[in-house]
Amino acid sequence: MSGDGRNPLRGHEGDQGLALPRKAPVERRPFLEVDITLPVGAGEQEIKLESDALSVAVFGPSGGGKSTFLRTLAGVERRSSGKVRFGREVWLDSEREIFVPPWERSVGWVPQDYLLFPHLRVRDNLGYGGGSPQEIAEMAALLFVDHLLDRRPRRLSGGEQQRVALGRALLSRPKMLLLDEPFSALDRPLRNRVGTQIGTYMRAREIPLILVSHDEADAAALAQEHWMLSQGRLVRVEG
Amino acid sequence: MKLQTIKPEEVNVKVFMEVRRCFFDGIDWLLRLSFPSNLPVMSVSLSLNAFIRFFVSALLLTLSLPFAAAGREGPFSEGATGPLDGSGEDADSSLLILAAASLTDVLPTLAGLWEEETGVPVRFSFDATSRLAPQILQGIEADLFFSADEAWMEWLRERGGIREDTRMPLLGNELVLAVPTGGEFQPGEPSQLTDPELRLLAVAGENVPAGRYARAALASTGVWRAVEDRVVRSGNVRGALEWVALGEVDAAVVYRTDALAEPRVRIAFVFPEGTYPPITYPAAVTATAPMATRAIEFLEFCRSPAAREVFRAQGFLPPRQRAGSGAGGGPDVLPDPWSAVRISLLVALGATLAGFLPSVWLGWVLARKDFFGKSILATVALAPLVLPPVVTGFLLLSLLGSQGPLGGWLAGLGLPVPFTLLGATLAALTVGLPLYVVSVRNAFQAVDPRYEEVSWTLGRRPWPTFMRVTFPLAIPGIAAGAVLAFARALGEFGATVVLAGNIEGSTRTIALAVYTLLESPQGREAIWILVGASVLISLLALLGYEALSRRQRRQMEIRHVR
Repeated sequence: MSGDGRNPLRGHEGDQGLALPRKAPVERRPFLEVDITLPVGAGEQEIKLESDALSVAVFGPSGGGKSTFLRTLAGVERRSSGKVRFGREVWLDSEREIFVPPWERSVGWVPQDYLLFPHLRVRDNLGYGGGSPQEIAEMAALLFVDHLLDRRPRRLSGGEQQRVALGRALLSRPKMLLLDEPFSALDRPLRNRVGTQIGTYMRAREIPLILVSHDEADAAALAQEHWMLSQGRLVRVEG
Repeated sequence: MKLQTIKPEEVNVKVFMEVRRCFFDGIDWLLRLSFPSNLPVMSVSLSLNAFIRFFVSALLLTLSLPFAAAGREGPFSEGATGPLDGSGEDADSSLLILAAASLTDVLPTLAGLWEEETGVPVRFSFDATSRLAPQILQGIEADLFFSADEAWMEWLRERGGIREDTRMPLLGNELVLAVPTGGEFQPGEPSQLTDPELRLLAVAGENVPAGRYARAALASTGVWRAVEDRVVRSGNVRGALEWVALGEVDAAVVYRTDALAEPRVRIAFVFPEGTYPPITYPAAVTATAPMATRAIEFLEFCRSPAAREVFRAQGFLPPRQRAGSGAGGGPDVLPDPWSAVRISLLVALGATLAGFLPSVWLGWVLARKDFFGKSILATVALAPLVLPPVVTGFLLLSLLGSQGPLGGWLAGLGLPVPFTLLGATLAALTVGLPLYVVSVRNAFQAVDPRYEEVSWTLGRRPWPTFMRVTFPLAIPGIAAGAVLAFARALGEFGATVVLAGNIEGSTRTIALAVYTLLESPQGREAIWILVGASVLISLLALLGYEALSRRQRRQMEIRHVR
């Protein structure tokens, strides 16, 4: 995967060599820079976040705008305004009227209720965003859903649905993975196994991860960098 | 007036209104469903009761329409005769007169003179003779009957509907060829009707008097065979007259009095005497007349010199030789029920297929897009649901008729719309489209838009997303809409009869065939084949709709699994 030019961490044309921007910061800018205003309920929520970490957890109370934050990064929340920059790509800049549509962002978004396409079998759900039959089979094995490939989502448990949704996102070769409440459905023993495998998989490909959760302990375990949403502000939490 | 009799027709109207109210409740429910809060899926199952009420009432309404059209005598009138008027012939009671539609302009003038003289007011019910005569046997408490031909008067006499001693020929009329004023085709005699310049010739329905006279006149002048293919049938003389006045047809065979009353047409020629049975308007007092004495006095008044003068001024002639009891123009021509079923299925299928793309597009736009003028678009698209179908038909005729802004262009392409199968299909399409669009819109609204969002983040643009996610998920609901539109197209009557006429083997659908059969004394038994066919097809369609809607709901249930 070292030649994967789609990964912004590896730079684009004109960039020297294979050095990662955060290790050789030509511009001295963090790879993710967010400064946005989200609609939350009847009001608004400002979110300011800058990070160089490969995995970021955002936690906070339910209904605080965490899901909307992920939706904004995925490009499906048109009501948000402000600025989002990822690597060298500006995804949103309300002042300059820049908006990159979701189909050009290559993000893997796993919503809280997974949203598997109900009319497609697991196999077709997994391959919806890309992936050869062989890649689909490998991913299914990685996620322990290889025995379910011909089922419809209706006949999967919550945990199985979540794993398929995760596989579907990963097979689309995302530049960034967005997980919404990823700990809600996985059963404990499987969570550790899947968590380990996925962690390895993503580190090997250097796919940045952003997850949001209301559960601080779970969120802390998976991410390098922790942010907390409280009293209308997003603050970095050390440790 | 202390006369408080409930006429059977009023009872029918009440039942009809009640059914109609249920129907509009249903529409209201449909519209509420179309602007749901969040969970249209939920509200569907909650309003199942309203749903069932809507379709039962819609079915009843559809079934009752032909009856309502045929003089409001129908399944609801059984035993619905109101309390008898026991007050006798009070001086302040009024006469109720049933009279042929062609007397609409003249009789009220006469009644005015009569009331001045005697102080007895007169009320009228004007309609086609074929619809009035059965009403008398159904027990309507009318005093007098003015028929447009002897055949229907004879039909009534045989069934004891009139007092035979009071029957008399009252007026005469002539058959003429009316052409648009300033039109190109201006024949001087019947033989010129074979001219190819005559493309369409309007004639009243074959079982109403004017239609029979016309057929007799065309047959005995030897042109019937030549013009048969060019003949279009309207419900009554006034319909034929309206078509010729609008220039939709090149000529129409109508009564002299009607042609004189319409400034947009002129009389090309009068059919020679003897080419058709003498046109006589017989009148008689009904057998059950509450005010028989007054009624006889009114009949006598109609023969007074003053009355004769009024009639003459309107173009009526004195009655000719009393005609025999035979029907003019030979026996009634009854519609072929199987041809009607075939045409109905063809029209409904055509309308459903042609409506697919517009409905899917409109339904999707209304479900997903927000833009200026959206509510106006929704209103226009849904308007045929609440407009009287006859009005819809008239608007279509104005737009698509050969004189209309679009019709001329279509005719130039070799696709004339009025009086063709294409016209019948377009009428059915227009009237069925709102149901189609509303179903499709609900189907799209039931698809969580976040499925589309996920698809976008997986790299699919909006159009591939629509084809791979939105559309497949909405298919059951879209199919349900198609079934509903199909059923509505089958039941379509009002818009079709105005735009496409009532042409045997070409535009005569089940509804039109039932309507035509009701006009003929001999047609009343053959109706049941058609009634059976339409009930069967409609019920099957509604069952299909239910099954498909349920499927749409089931498919979406995945969302609630957590």
